[in-house]
Amino acid sequence: MIAIWYAVVSFMLIVYIVLDGRNFGAGMLQWFVAKTPEERRQVIAAIGPLWTWHEVWLLGFGGTLIAIFPRLMASAFAGYYLALFLILWCLILRGISLEVGGHINDRLWQAYWDFIFVFSNFLLAILFGAAAGNVARGVPVDGQGNFSMAFFTDFKVRGYVGLLDWYTVSIAILAVVMLAAHGATYLTLKTEGPVHDRCAKCGKYLWIAVVPLGLAVLVESRIVRPDLPGRALSNPFWWLGLVVTVVSTIALVSGLSGRRERRAFLASNFLIVGLLATGAAAIFPVMLNSTLAPENSLTAYAVASSPTTLLRASFWWPIGFALAVFYFVFISRRYAGKVSVRRDTQGFY
Amino acid sequence: MNSIFNDPGFWHRLQFGFTIVYHYLFPQLTMGLALFIVYWKWRALRTGDEKYNQAVRFWAKIFGLNFAVGVVTGIPMEFQFGTNWADFSKYAGGVIGQTLAMEGMFAFFLESAFVGALIWGEKRLGPRGHFAAAIAVALGSWLSGYFILVTNSFMQHPVGYRIETNGSLGIASMSAYLLNPWAVVQFAHNQLAAVVTGSFVVAAIGAFYALRGLHRVQARLYLRAGTFVGLIASLLVAFPTGDQQAKIVGNHQPITLAAMEGKFEGESMAGVALIGQPNVATQRLDNPIEVPGALSFLAYGHFGSFVHGLNDFPKDQWPDNLELLYYSFHIMITLGTLFIVLMGFATLENWRGRLESSRLLLWVLMLAFPYPYIANTLGWMTAELGRQPWLIYGLFHTRDGYSKVVSNGDAIFTLIGFTGLYFVIGLLFLGLTGREIGKGPKEPAVATIISEPEREAVLV
Repeated sequence: MIAIWYAVVSFMLIVYIVLDGRNFGAGMLQWFVAKTPEERRQVIAAIGPLWTWHEVWLLGFGGTLIAIFPRLMASAFAGYYLALFLILWCLILRGISLEVGGHINDRLWQAYWDFIFVFSNFLLAILFGAAAGNVARGVPVDGQGNFSMAFFTDFKVRGYVGLLDWYTVSIAILAVVMLAAHGATYLTLKTEGPVHDRCAKCGKYLWIAVVPLGLAVLVESRIVRPDLPGRALSNPFWWLGLVVTVVSTIALVSGLSGRRERRAFLASNFLIVGLLATGAAAIFPVMLNSTLAPENSLTAYAVASSPTTLLRASFWWPIGFALAVFYFVFISRRYAGKVSVRRDTQGFY
Repeated sequence: MNSIFNDPGFWHRLQFGFTIVYHYLFPQLTMGLALFIVYWKWRALRTGDEKYNQAVRFWAKIFGLNFAVGVVTGIPMEFQFGTNWADFSKYAGGVIGQTLAMEGMFAFFLESAFVGALIWGEKRLGPRGHFAAAIAVALGSWLSGYFILVTNSFMQHPVGYRIETNGSLGIASMSAYLLNPWAVVQFAHNQLAAVVTGSFVVAAIGAFYALRGLHRVQARLYLRAGTFVGLIASLLVAFPTGDQQAKIVGNHQPITLAAMEGKFEGESMAGVALIGQPNVATQRLDNPIEVPGALSFLAYGHFGSFVHGLNDFPKDQWPDNLELLYYSFHIMITLGTLFIVLMGFATLENWRGRLESSRLLLWVLMLAFPYPYIANTLGWMTAELGRQPWLIYGLFHTRDGYSKVVSNGDAIFTLIGFTGLYFVIGLLFLGLTGREIGKGPKEPAVATIISEPEREAVLV
């Protein structure tokens, strides 16, 4: 039961990362792939009408996390206090910059909000990357299951670690490059004209850059968490994640080289899902590893709600998820097709 | 030294209070407006009259701005359960997390999936599809209100829970938890109050256009709908829902009721103070003008019923800010009464055909729109201050709930950050809403009849 709920909660976070990751990526790239004001509006219009739908998955994840793993949520969120508020403020700035830019047709106004937009998306990719690194590496959890940490300490990965060290920074860099590649693949599918051509080109380079960075993180993870590989190999979900990763990598290569944009974008989504799933499966059942002493680590079994509470949640969650799939189908059909550079067909944005 | 700087609980409460009050300025309007949008869209379908579609288009834009700010200010609310109220989440997360997650999956998913279709999808979806999108958005916004009120009601009047072996709370009965009688009463009261906000805003913009002599057809539509719905909703907020709300407080939180009314000594034939200032030092109500017996009757149904006073309870169970609680409650009641008078008069004038020609009344209607926001906020302050010193009434103290690992400086820092950020958001929101109101509802000829290439020619 707890293992299934662990998979469900991880899955909701992964869905959020994949859905909003395209916005982070496209947002970071906006300045580089869109040169004229019209082209920059085109990028915003490509993600505009759907960003709230993507962002509410974070709320769905947060609520499920409180219900299923309340003690983990409490320890982790209080421990990451300032880092989480940075993420929240960046999310606020990102949403605001998306919404208000198009309201006033003035170059300076739009250039200013485009800057906020690019900057906050970039910072969000870094912060989520570093957060993933912190989950993989662990945090200084004490005997009571609490921790609080500085932004950085001595950049080492044991003992009283900070939010940033060589390991989490390298995962943050991987996250930035990979989400940029994901965003470029999305914009290639979603746009036409010069933005499309630039995205198609830089998307390929970004995906190539992901390969060495990804391998480096793999080797580093082996050093930081020597206990993980043994656990990972015995977890069927890890193997499932690996299969998804391999298949989607093949599909991505074929999509990128054959200019099959839809296939490339789908593969890009599943590649990120597969990678994050292998990561989530590898650390199970430890949800928050302690860098001070292994016995302080918080496992899914120790932080979960009672079996009856989990059982109650099992009744409504599938219904909510089935509805979400239904909305997803509606949205995919409703917003299919390319966004043109012509302003008047972009709607409000 | 004992100052508020040394009391982390104070800063966590202030931050949550500030961010939730600010956040709720936006959903209260979207929940109210959603009904107007559904109604006008339905009228447009039935009558084919283009003026209703015009109204839907205009209000959908205002709705969109409020929705966006509501989303970005709403995400910090859920996260603060973990960041600032970690010990509360550890204790009650298994219960309150259920409705927070349901809110995400049943309400926000629905609302956010269809809000884009409502604002930009009229042409692609066709009239029926657009009507369905309006219903989906309205349903989503009201559902999210219900789930949040269930969460709050659990803190006011915990039901359906059990205490697990590790001392935390779990769900014993999902139906008892979801159908908490407190939640049902509070939902009715709160949603009608949101409709009051919506109708005052609709009427205010109608009055603005009428005074300017702009968009005459639309102005008449907004004024009529706003004042009539405003009257009905203001009446229902007071009776039966406000009345029921006071009764449920009297039954389950008698200390709170005594504090709301500034009653220090218990009595039968207890009166309602129309005017008076609670004086905690001398433990009496200064300069009272009371309606004798009214409180006994309103709370328990008989003029002779005994109403407990604060002195009947140990002092450590008193709400910790009596004066603020008393004034919040009384100003809310006063405003609510004025709303009935104003909207009743406006409806009467409308019936006599004089609404649009009475400039004084139009001025009052235009300037009245902030007051429902104030009344809503004061109502929530009454509910939450009245709950003190408990975080979950009778089970868990507020002082036990905040995150012990978060330093005072961090809490103050983020509070200052929110203050600055929300100030900027407020400026942007007001500026952009002002622009949309300035642009006004578009004339139907431009919006729908001209085809795409022609429209481009017009724009060039």
